[in-house]
Amino acid sequence: MWPSVFLLVVIIGIPFLIALYISFLNLDQYTLRSWIHAPWVGISNYVSALTAGNVIGASTLTSLGVSVGFSLLTTLCITPIGILAALTVNTQYRGRAIIRALYLVPYVIPTFVTALVWRMMFLNRTGLVDIVLAGIHVASINTYWLLGPNSFWAMVIADVWASWAFIYMMVLAGLQSISGDLYDAAEVDGANAWQKLTRVVLPQLRHILGLALLLSTLNHFNNFTLPFVMFGTPPPVQADVLPLNIYVSSFQLFNFGLGGAMSVITLVLMLIPGLFYIRTLHLGEVMAS
Amino acid sequence: MHRDSQEILSRPLRIVVTIVLVIFVLVPIVYTLLLSVTPDSEIGSGDLIPTQWAFGNYIQMWTTVSLAQGIFNSLVISGIASAIAVILAVGAAYIITRFRFRLRLPYLYALIGLQTVPSVMLLLPLFVLFASIQAALHFRLVGTYQAVIITYLTFALPFATWLMVSYLGSIPLDLEEAALVDGATRLQALWRVIVPLALPGVVVALVFAFLTGWNDVLFASVLTAPETRTVAVQLQAFSAGQEGGSLPLYGQLMGASVVSALPVVILYMIFQRYLIGGLTAGAVKG
Repeated sequence: MWPSVFLLVVIIGIPFLIALYISFLNLDQYTLRSWIHAPWVGISNYVSALTAGNVIGASTLTSLGVSVGFSLLTTLCITPIGILAALTVNTQYRGRAIIRALYLVPYVIPTFVTALVWRMMFLNRTGLVDIVLAGIHVASINTYWLLGPNSFWAMVIADVWASWAFIYMMVLAGLQSISGDLYDAAEVDGANAWQKLTRVVLPQLRHILGLALLLSTLNHFNNFTLPFVMFGTPPPVQADVLPLNIYVSSFQLFNFGLGGAMSVITLVLMLIPGLFYIRTLHLGEVMAS
Repeated sequence: MHRDSQEILSRPLRIVVTIVLVIFVLVPIVYTLLLSVTPDSEIGSGDLIPTQWAFGNYIQMWTTVSLAQGIFNSLVISGIASAIAVILAVGAAYIITRFRFRLRLPYLYALIGLQTVPSVMLLLPLFVLFASIQAALHFRLVGTYQAVIITYLTFALPFATWLMVSYLGSIPLDLEEAALVDGATRLQALWRVIVPLALPGVVVALVFAFLTGWNDVLFASVLTAPETRTVAVQLQAFSAGQEGGSLPLYGQLMGASVVSALPVVILYMIFQRYLIGGLTAGAVKG
């Protein structure tokens, strides 16, 4: 384990060291050409990242909250959908191949297209969501999904639509590795469907499901394209996820030092689930066989 | 009829759940297709079905945005990046699976570890590196195909290598040993024996590496110039440009979205069987 951790640190190390160095500089588009000689400002970028953030958006802490909330909530939503979907195609029936292909479509559509599609869906007054919700008198036709607090929910709904098939595929792969004998045994013991699900299937899926949830959380945390294309820049504070905040700070406000500080904070935070992920893989056992 | 013991959702329940999911999947897609043939003047009216079909959106959009240029750039950048990634990955995977060396496991861990690094974290250091190389050597790098291709390789390569390792690892040694005994060189054995056997893996790696480039907005929006913009960045810019204008060209925007998503969806459908294996390979292997 230790040599691998060492090598990992080296490979991520080079970009990380550059980002770390930048994070202590007052670096903008004018000092970029000779960035090695840019003025050293100590930890002031970190202080402003944690307190003020960039001039138009949220602070790092706010963005961190949005990102954590977004990635955990979407993972929480897609898990039951993915499991249910996998159960609908687990047994043979006519037309199953079509259903399986259809389930994958939202997942394979490029994220920038998904974002454009849901931007149209949530468009104020003219989008389908507002038309339908106003039609059945659930919400006002002027709900403004793409502005303010609602933008967070718009982003969650769009992402759930796009990503539930990931859990579905992982669960389906897991289901296929469960031996038929286990079901037969449960049947003989008189188990009903619910008992089969909770006593046979879910315990057998424990490992792969754990992995799927971890990967899903990581992927959603790093999702930049969806909020970037869906809301444009500057995004609403409630949808200003950490990757988007870093991007806007660095490449639209040209405060590279601040962006560097946020990048370093993000990487340190991501190392925790990242190491968890690597530990779950048990590579040594696979390669030894 | 014999009831399948694997059945957990009863038939009626299964049908209801399937219908709900299919509707959930289809509503945004059908809505997009509908909008793409709606005249721009009618999108604001609030009616779902347009009074007249505007198939012209699919013709006008090619001149409104330089869509063809964008698609061409995406094809070149993603095509070259994925070809390089897969060629290098096959070589690396061959060495990892056929030779025992000390850093083998650490190398594999590093490949996976790289995939958990947030890509936005790589963007800033890469951009600063490119910018300082430009300033030092006096040639343009940011805005060229090369800069974007190198960038895509940094994450396409680890993933492709990881995929190829899992494929090559499952090919028995006997086959190539036979070839080696017959006087083939290592390279010939790799090219004539291993690659044909690992072809599904090569296809999966190629498709995924290609899609990494096709789908990326983050790196391309910073590292491309107007003439090297990928289709993803062009659509993003097109969408952003619709705000504040007099009459947003939403119909054409949706038409262009359909055109840039369709090849990807078709690609997936053709290789569906292999690709699902690829999508879960990284995880299931554990």
